[in-house]
This record gives sequence, structure tokens and C-alpha cells, in this order.
Amino acid sequence: MNGVITVGMADFKTATAPDLLLTAGLGSCIGICIHDPFLKVGGMAHIMLPTANGSLGGNPAKYADTALVLLLKEISGMGALKSRLRAKMAGGAQMFSFPGKPPVLKIGDRNAEAVEQELKRHGIPLLVADVGGNFGRTIHFDVGTGELRIRTINHGEKVV
Amino acid sequence: MEITQLQLDALREIGNVGSGHAATALSTLLQRRIDMSVPEVWAVPFEQVTSIVGQLDTPQAVIYVKVEGEASGKAVFFFPVESAEIVVKALFGTNEPMDLYNEMAQSALKEVGNILVSSFIMALTQFSGIPLQPSVPALAVDMIGATLDAIFLEEGVLEDTVLFIDTQLTGIPKIEGQFIFLPDDGSLKKLLGAMGV
Repeated sequence: MNGVITVGMADFKTATAPDLLLTAGLGSCIGICIHDPFLKVGGMAHIMLPTANGSLGGNPAKYADTALVLLLKEISGMGALKSRLRAKMAGGAQMFSFPGKPPVLKIGDRNAEAVEQELKRHGIPLLVADVGGNFGRTIHFDVGTGELRIRTINHGEKVV
Repeated sequence: MEITQLQLDALREIGNVGSGHAATALSTLLQRRIDMSVPEVWAVPFEQVTSIVGQLDTPQAVIYVKVEGEASGKAVFFFPVESAEIVVKALFGTNEPMDLYNEMAQSALKEVGNILVSSFIMALTQFSGIPLQPSVPALAVDMIGATLDAIFLEEGVLEDTVLFIDTQLTGIPKIEGQFIFLPDDGSLKKLLGAMGV
């Protein structure tokens, strides 16, 4: 039986196959999943905001830019090669809309953009981006196969 | 910010009165007797909220309003889908299973949620003397973690302290619900100051 490692909000974890990484109830937050398919190791970060923006004292795992640095460092420490890494992400929804008022700051979209940019900056290909919509997601990531299972309440379940 | 025992007691009293208003409003709406339990109240940093709500992917009906006024913030009332279904069925006077995603059910839930969330805002105003105006409500029936993170992050910032009131409204059968107030920066201080604690 595979172990399941839970990643909380503003948190990140790494794992080796056959363990799975899980994060539950992603709204505008994003789950970033990265693995090395050769070594079958990987990690997941549950980020909440696009950038730490120089703000000190906060938890770096909250932000797309700083969380990715932490995650990559830990995965590299497990022997993974940066050139082999692959990424997938899910989340970034817009859960609420107020009638007649278009949201000025769509935090979900901004999060997705930030993750995409940061991955590009690190040269890691983004294979899947299941983002947007107005519904929550719970994700399971298999660090061995790279399979990402995305569960929703009212929008089905899929493996990407 | 640090919350003293005296302040927590004052907040608990607001929770009491708010739950009382909520029970009365729901009782009038559903034409049945609704009792309430003495609520539990927490004032906790944002990170701890998720441990109070339990499983983050449990589906709940979540009603969200923005609160304008001198002590502005965000107010949320949420209940488990089972409770939401009980309320909607009672409202439509039916025993048939109810799809909470259909338009009629959603507008009913929004209305009920609005009444409940307003009950707590009314209590905040009553105790502090600070007039507060709720916006039109927004509704989501979805994973509780997903809805709360979206609300907390809406302005792109994380609030420091979150006021959390856990209330149980007991009709036949039991209806559970929780109220959250996220004060904007400085609002909690203003509220507590106005109450003299």
C-alpha cells in the first residue's frame, strides 16, 4: 500500500515512489507538483500568493516564487537532476463572484501566472496546468509515474 | 494581535447574541422552533482556521459577504451540505432530495445565508455601536478549504486574526453552521475598543 503524504496550506513536502502526495481543498491556491521520472522522486507545494515581494518574516512556502526555490532545493538534495524535472499544477480558481462587480484582482489567475513564470525561469517544463474555473480541487500526485489525480465536488474527477 | 481573556469573553457574548438572532430569523423563515447552543468562539491566526474547520475537502455551503463601515472586513457563514439541504427542503416544504446546485436551491441558500450572516453582523454593531453594512451575498457550494482560501486571499493579503464563532442551531433535525469574521487591518482593535475591552 502506498503511503500518502499530506501537504497543508502554505506547505511543501517531498516523497519517493511509491508514495503519493496529497493536498486537499485548493481554491485560488495552487498545488505545484514536480518530479524526476528517472529517479522517481518529487515534491508538491501548496502556494497561496504569487510573490513574497520582499516581505520578510513570512512563511516562504506561502508564495509561488519562494516556495519553488525551497521545493527545488529539497528535490535536488534527493539526487534529482534539474534537467530531468517535469511539473504539473492545479488550482487557481475564482470561487466567488459578486453580481455586477467583476473582480479586479483575480488572485487565482495571478497565482497561475506566477507559477508558470517561475517554472520557466527555472527551465522546468510545465506539462499540465489544470487551473481556473469556479470550483475547488483536491489533488493526488504520484511522484513515480507523474500522474496527477484531480478530484472536484461537482466537476468530476480526472487523471492528467 | 493578542487577545485577552476579557476580550474573548466579549466576543463570545457577540457570538451568543448573533446566534440568537440567527435562530430567531431561521425560525421565522422556516416556521418551526429553532434552538441554539452556546457557541464556541476563537480568535485565531489565519493558519489555525484550517484545523478548526476539519477536513478541507468536505463540501459545505458557504455564503460570503463583504462588510463595509468603520470596522470593515469579510463575513462568512457556512454549513455542511446536509444542513443546507435540510434548510432548503424546509423552505420549499418538500421531502424530495434537493440538488443544491440548481438555481432555485442556490438562490434560496443565498437568501438564508444572507439572513444568518446578517444576524452576526447585527450583533457586532449592537455591541460596538459601529454601523456595519453587508454587501450582497455570494455563494459557493464546494470544498470548505477551497472557499475559505479564496476568501482569505481575495485582496491578496493574509489577515492576521480571524474571529471564529461555531454555532449549532437545533431544529428538527439538527442544523449546524459556523460564522467567521475576518476583520480588515485595524478593525478588530476598533471593535474591541468601542466595546470598552
